[in-house]
Amino acid sequence: MGIPRVKIAIVGSGPAGLSAAARAAELGIPHLLLEAEAHLSHTIHRYQKGKQVMAEPAQLPLRSTAPFAAGKREAILQAWNDSARKLGIQVRYGAAVSAIRASSDGFALDTTSGETVEAERVVLAIGLQGNLRKLGCEGEDLDLAQYQLDDPEAYRDEAIVVVGAGDAAIENALALAAHNRVSIVNRRDEFDRAKKGNSEAILKAIAEGRIQHLSNATVAWLRQDAPGQGRLCLDTAEGKAEIACNRVIARLGATPPRAFVESCGVNFPSRDANAVPAVSARYESNVPGLYIIGALAGYPLIKQAMNQGYEVVEYIEGRSPEPADALLLAAKFRVMPGYQSVEAGIARIRERIPVLAPLTSLQLREFLLDSEVHQVQPGALIFRHNDYSDSFYSVLDGGVQIQVDEAESGRQIALGSGQFFGEMSLISGRRRSATVHAGPAGAVLIETPRGSMNKLIASVAAVRRVLDETFLLRAIQAKLAPGLDAAALRELVASASLARYAAGELLFREGDPGDCLHLIRKGSVTVARELAGREVVLAYVPAGQYVGEMALLTEQPRAATVKAAVATETIRLEASAFKALLSRHPQLRQRINDTFGQRLVANSAVDSQGGGGVVQFLMNQGLGEATDVLLIDEGLCVRCDHCEKACADTHGGVSRLDRETGPTYEQLHVPTSCRHCEHPHCMKDCPPDAIHRAPGGEVYITDACIGCGNCERNCPYGVIQMGVTSPAQPSLWRWLLLGGKEPGAAPGSADKGAAKKAVKCDMCKDLSGGPACVRACPTGAAVRVSPDQFLQISRGTDE
Amino acid sequence: MSASGGDPVHQSFLAHAQFRWAKLALALCLLSLVAYLWHQPVDGANGGTWLGYTLGGIGAALILCLLWLGVRKRQYRSRLGTVKGWTSAHVYLGLSLLLIVSLHCGFQFGLNIHTLAYVLMVLVIGSGLWGLIAYDRLPGRITRLHGGGNREAWIEEVLDLNEQAIGLANALSPEVHSRIVASADKLQLGGGLRAQLFGPRRKQGGDGLRESLEKRIAQLRSGPSRGAATAPGEQNTVMFMAGQLRQTAGGEQEAAGIQKLLDLLAHRNELVARINQDVALHARLQLWLLLHVPLSLALLAALVAHVFSVFFYW
Repeated sequence: MGIPRVKIAIVGSGPAGLSAAARAAELGIPHLLLEAEAHLSHTIHRYQKGKQVMAEPAQLPLRSTAPFAAGKREAILQAWNDSARKLGIQVRYGAAVSAIRASSDGFALDTTSGETVEAERVVLAIGLQGNLRKLGCEGEDLDLAQYQLDDPEAYRDEAIVVVGAGDAAIENALALAAHNRVSIVNRRDEFDRAKKGNSEAILKAIAEGRIQHLSNATVAWLRQDAPGQGRLCLDTAEGKAEIACNRVIARLGATPPRAFVESCGVNFPSRDANAVPAVSARYESNVPGLYIIGALAGYPLIKQAMNQGYEVVEYIEGRSPEPADALLLAAKFRVMPGYQSVEAGIARIRERIPVLAPLTSLQLREFLLDSEVHQVQPGALIFRHNDYSDSFYSVLDGGVQIQVDEAESGRQIALGSGQFFGEMSLISGRRRSATVHAGPAGAVLIETPRGSMNKLIASVAAVRRVLDETFLLRAIQAKLAPGLDAAALRELVASASLARYAAGELLFREGDPGDCLHLIRKGSVTVARELAGREVVLAYVPAGQYVGEMALLTEQPRAATVKAAVATETIRLEASAFKALLSRHPQLRQRINDTFGQRLVANSAVDSQGGGGVVQFLMNQGLGEATDVLLIDEGLCVRCDHCEKACADTHGGVSRLDRETGPTYEQLHVPTSCRHCEHPHCMKDCPPDAIHRAPGGEVYITDACIGCGNCERNCPYGVIQMGVTSPAQPSLWRWLLLGGKEPGAAPGSADKGAAKKAVKCDMCKDLSGGPACVRACPTGAAVRVSPDQFLQISRGTDE
Repeated sequence: MSASGGDPVHQSFLAHAQFRWAKLALALCLLSLVAYLWHQPVDGANGGTWLGYTLGGIGAALILCLLWLGVRKRQYRSRLGTVKGWTSAHVYLGLSLLLIVSLHCGFQFGLNIHTLAYVLMVLVIGSGLWGLIAYDRLPGRITRLHGGGNREAWIEEVLDLNEQAIGLANALSPEVHSRIVASADKLQLGGGLRAQLFGPRRKQGGDGLRESLEKRIAQLRSGPSRGAATAPGEQNTVMFMAGQLRQTAGGEQEAAGIQKLLDLLAHRNELVARINQDVALHARLQLWLLLHVPLSLALLAALVAHVFSVFFYW
């Protein structure tokens, strides 16, 4: 038997690959679906039992030969298996593709089982999950070894060895230790890769003898003596050691698929970890005949992936069906003056807005699906200075007026068709830095949400470059050199470079020569000076401001040490270019001098009043990335807990703050409560995109929450909880006259079966008059402040 | 420091809105005093003159407003001022009542319902002052006591230490073990109001356990010969130790174990004391309310009776 040859080889049987195979089978095209596992659609197979699978986006129609509708994991897998059988899809299970080689008349695909398949076209639909790392030694494929753990309760009284020291390994080991004898094999002697809570929990379990720690050890081999009986050999510093076990659970992470995809000759547009390979409107990669669809191409939702599976086969067959999103786009484009068709609309956008020109057709459609097109009346307000919105606007028609400084009403910048605005808040995560109105002729604007824009920046290098350059120029204009045009700033802009700092990293040290100025683009920094052998924090400087000008003005070495309070990005401007600019523009020197003078006064005030310790403390609590934080002056707090009760009473009986927990410095207490971060960690991975920032800056969760708990896990400050809110509130008068439940007490009657959803502080954005916690404080101990006010707080309040 | 002249980032309820309510209360007092001195009724100042009725009306209205704080501070959605503003007004207007009501009655006192209402009012204001002092002094003491820790963590640590102590004692002897278990069982945190304020009645972690263990260490370390020098009256301890003295081998090891146990118990007892101190401070922060609130309700009843009797029986 020779090498099997098909027209289309499909790699990966997830929603995208399966849908492609289903269409190929329906059309009778010779095809082969290669799946590394022993079943279809491994990622969904791995979902926990009974998981409800969503069919987002709801408005997008499904176009696939294989069926799909929102429902339970089991029902969906069953429907796909049935459909695969009925259509006669050719599947090769256990066939992990290790290499794809282009040949003169197509491709040759090598599988790990040693087989080779030839195909005219290849559809790559391997998703983003990657392959789980295996033990990498003899015995890694034995039944004894498993690489995931669905239900720790399923095992009792076994000797189990968990391999790995990450969060998954620790969580598995702890859960299994309840009913089993568990050992954990750690390549090193610490668990510092894991989350703090997990590493503390495992160290405690080890100290108490509930889990045995096999440190500085690696697995040499695994052998099976009888079913469920085996021996694991470890390489340790003292030599080899054998242990008997019933089960080995290795949690070693997964290898991202990028290296494999690149080995097939596919280019990625940037080194960013989130970048996806660029594909044409017909899903074809830079390797002719190699198509990429689904999550790997940047489309993580099941329905999108299945539509692409159908379409890619149509394209390969030389047909061009209208994309499934056409209706949706038509609805969005209708407000455009002179709208004719979706294709014409897209062409017009591409031609008019240069920053979007480098997008592939697919990326542009995706971008527009997420965006809204607005027709704005002349002079209408788009957003206001200090608003907290963070969407990005492109001007399609007409123009807008940007007013940077409220005080100088004359100073306006006009933007016309093809330009964009809103990038400042997008990048810095801070409030709007200017007020924008529609121009005298009105405007047609494309508004894109933060998440979609960030995705685009990660995957299209050209967009990132244009945004970075524009941000740079506008930030210099706004903060350093108002009134100077791009030409006057050319030299300074050319000297600029982007610098990134991890939390705690130094920008420069006291006594260093002053070689540059930093304009903070994202994050925040602290300014500290050594006083009597102790480092004293003098100031907190947020994104949008600059640091390092003192040394440049005085020609002295650095007078203070500047350190990143959180992960920070700065624009580094070289001293020579900056000084040259100052010598050409004396009014600029005056302005910088004024700021310099103010800072000097403020710093010496902090020096003499010793407020630096408080600022340092607040920064250590991660408040450098906060926008609004609840603080309690314990000198005034009478521990009445009315703040918690007010929160519970106004939010369905679940308090979103915990007064007692949290650190205290001198009299200042930071309770466990949301800080409304500049770049909220909770927003990072919300499947239904239910976490938003309100114009007032409040980060809140909408009813779209599906209760997955990602935000709770992602929040480093532990301020999100999963809870059931109750619409019924205890009555104040019934309590006063008859007793019973006091207002603010947890409603015990909450529906037990109700699904838990994520709850967090929304700063009472829907109540007039501000946050209930602060309004309910009888003594003035509770305050909500922004980081700019920390220094004020630190200077004492009892005057 | 703030050049803007706006409100500082935060301030105490006493200084609320630049002492707005203090100023208002002071003005009210001055106005009342001036009117009182200027007004010279024929039969002397009393509650029955027009000024008496006016001051009485103001006083009664103020009392009702002040009582309303108890309602307002639980109306978490209310936008009628802030609770801090209400508390500030409560303090200053409450103090002004002393003068206004004294002027209202023209300093005429007797053994009747009217003077009862007055006395109750003075008691309410007195208990309120006590509360003010408590609110001023105790919060800072609680923070200093906590020193960055919190009660929940301490309790957890106490439980943890108990377990460790029992483990250590188990390795020493069954007798030590049972005494440590008993000592752990007897630990008391908080309790009723009396226990909250003054600490548990029983001595914590004691019963001579420490003394007998210390003695045991001394014996182990100085050799068995001195064991006989134990004072009479500690019969139990002597018997208990005599049994252990037989195994003189590894005496130093046992002494070290006991020392470790003692250190652990000392740390635990220190924590228990700190928890009880924390409980006491919290109780003292609330204690005045146990007078203030019932007295206020009694005052309300007496006030109603006073007004009723004035209008119907005077």
